[in-house]
Amino acid sequence: MATYYDIPVGAQHISLLEPLHFKLTTENEKIVDVEANVGYVHRGIEKACTTKFKFRQVSFVIGRICGLCSISHTTAYSQVAEKLLNLEIPLRAKYLRILVLELDRIHSHMLCLSHVAENSGFEALFMRTMKDREISMELLEAVCGNRVQYDYSIVGGVARDLRPEVAQMILTRLKELRPKIDDLIDIFQNNWSLSLKNKGIGAISFEDAMRLNAVGPLARAAGVPVDVRNDTEDLLPWKQVGFEMVLENGGDVHARNMVRLRELLVSMKIIENVIQGLPEGPIVAETKALPEGEAVVRLEAPRGELFHYAKGNKTQYLERLKVKAPTFSNIPAFVEMFKGNEYASAPAIIASYDPCLSCTAR
Amino acid sequence: MELKLYRKKSPWILHYNAGSCNGCDIEILACLSPKYDVERFGMINTGNPKQSDILLITGPVTKRSRERLVEIYSQMPEPKVVICCGSCASTGGVFRDMYNIEGGVDQVIPVDVYVPGCACRPEQIIDGVVAALEILEKKTKAIEKPLRYANEVKDENDQINRRTMPGTIPTK
Amino acid sequence: MKRIDLPLDKVVEEIGKFYRYDEHHFIVINAVDLGDAIEVQWFFSNYVAPGEVTMFAAKADASQLIPSITRVVPSAWVAEAELVDLMGINIENAKKGFVLEEDFEGAPLRKK
Repeated sequence: MATYYDIPVGAQHISLLEPLHFKLTTENEKIVDVEANVGYVHRGIEKACTTKFKFRQVSFVIGRICGLCSISHTTAYSQVAEKLLNLEIPLRAKYLRILVLELDRIHSHMLCLSHVAENSGFEALFMRTMKDREISMELLEAVCGNRVQYDYSIVGGVARDLRPEVAQMILTRLKELRPKIDDLIDIFQNNWSLSLKNKGIGAISFEDAMRLNAVGPLARAAGVPVDVRNDTEDLLPWKQVGFEMVLENGGDVHARNMVRLRELLVSMKIIENVIQGLPEGPIVAETKALPEGEAVVRLEAPRGELFHYAKGNKTQYLERLKVKAPTFSNIPAFVEMFKGNEYASAPAIIASYDPCLSCTAR
Repeated sequence: MELKLYRKKSPWILHYNAGSCNGCDIEILACLSPKYDVERFGMINTGNPKQSDILLITGPVTKRSRERLVEIYSQMPEPKVVICCGSCASTGGVFRDMYNIEGGVDQVIPVDVYVPGCACRPEQIIDGVVAALEILEKKTKAIEKPLRYANEVKDENDQINRRTMPGTIPTK
Repeated sequence: MKRIDLPLDKVVEEIGKFYRYDEHHFIVINAVDLGDAIEVQWFFSNYVAPGEVTMFAAKADASQLIPSITRVVPSAWVAEAELVDLMGINIENAKKGFVLEEDFEGAPLRKK
């Protein structure tokens, strides 16, 4: 007769950045069942976006859904609003959006990697990754003017132009970052003690990832080719700037680390291409129209597919705005991932999944 | 005796996210990283409320996290200092008057230091913690004053008259 | 975006015919308050033809029981639980309390 113990993790826990509660049912050391409570951060932003703020103000509010991927939310909302307005934005604005999206992806992925290292018990690697991450934070501050909440995309274009000296600074700092990422890849790939905590832990199969509709690095680590950057060309010219999909086969924590590390290299290549091929022209398209009809937009945030649905009724206020964050789609796969692993691996699995609860609950 | 010294030289920090957008949380994490490196001041991020001196709170308080916040606050031993990180924690910020929001942290528990900014920069957070350390020292001194004599009723000659002493335990 | 309008009782059947897990990606369920009725929308994208989004839409009354699609799409329970809280509609087998407190009165995203 087996004895089951319920172990709570959260809402406040050293390995969690955000309030997230798990009830892990364990038999001896093995996790057999998981219950997740993800609603601690619900603030009601969707309601406020349709009643308190006009549609041009919403692009600033919607960034406050999440500090890690604020540029993804502002860009996706700006795109959906432009669809409602039938507005075509200048090519330069599209390139600048890609630039900030990819810089944001570098900082978000490196934060996740450092968090995995810390939760696997490798404090030195946490410090090292965080130190390298500061390069991307400095670049973001130089481009947008703030370290975390950028407010870079607005309805119709972007808020700031890229100055030539900042562009030069990005290229030189990325050259510094490149060998550091190569070193990190070496450590994450070959370090023996890290491999004990990462390889074969928290694995999800290709079939399960497909069946449970996983998105983002979680799905790509299991070999599922889902990446919105690969799908659409009409909103942002991803293929023009040299996007390649990164796929791994393991599905475990290690494979997710490798997907993120290799995506850093792809992002750096995209940024270099954007700066070298930045077209001249205006950065904002003006219009006096009001939003009408309904539209959807999909965008690849650092954690996966971000989905915005908006409906306008020819007034300053939107009728409905729906945000589907990547973590929201991944919850069913996530609950599945825990089962069969040891309790001691739970923090590393949580970190490798890169949860963003403020996106999920909004 | 030593505890007093260590509390000032090495305050332990507890971080709770009461509904923030993660912006201020990652800045707190950036404080621990080598560039800002608050560990050189002896500060350590701990997960245990019972061992911590400073409570860093980010985000406006949502209805569901309010109970947990009060619980964590009451588990921390005296003396303790509460710091609000960011505009939302200080006043409610852009989320004020939304249907699931209580408002700033000071609507729920007493707050000592407010750090403004969306998101607050790591330098500001370090500045706020340094300001909190002074408050922590004052609170430590206040806690060590013999409360009984301070609150006892004195007569006109400034002498304590034990016969008129109130029967209840003084609260201040 | 391709829009397919359906009567409410045909939704599970039609989505069951449409959905193949190795071909379609379930995105989310959404609902819009139209004033006199609630429009429930199921969104799917396609792995094979990237960039294509299909929307199934059905109109329902606020008190009507909306069928659950979890027997066709197992991962849909998260979206259903959220909608029950925020729109105040009834969905089969979905419980309240995903994001809101249990004593919360009314539904925030409804107009009245």
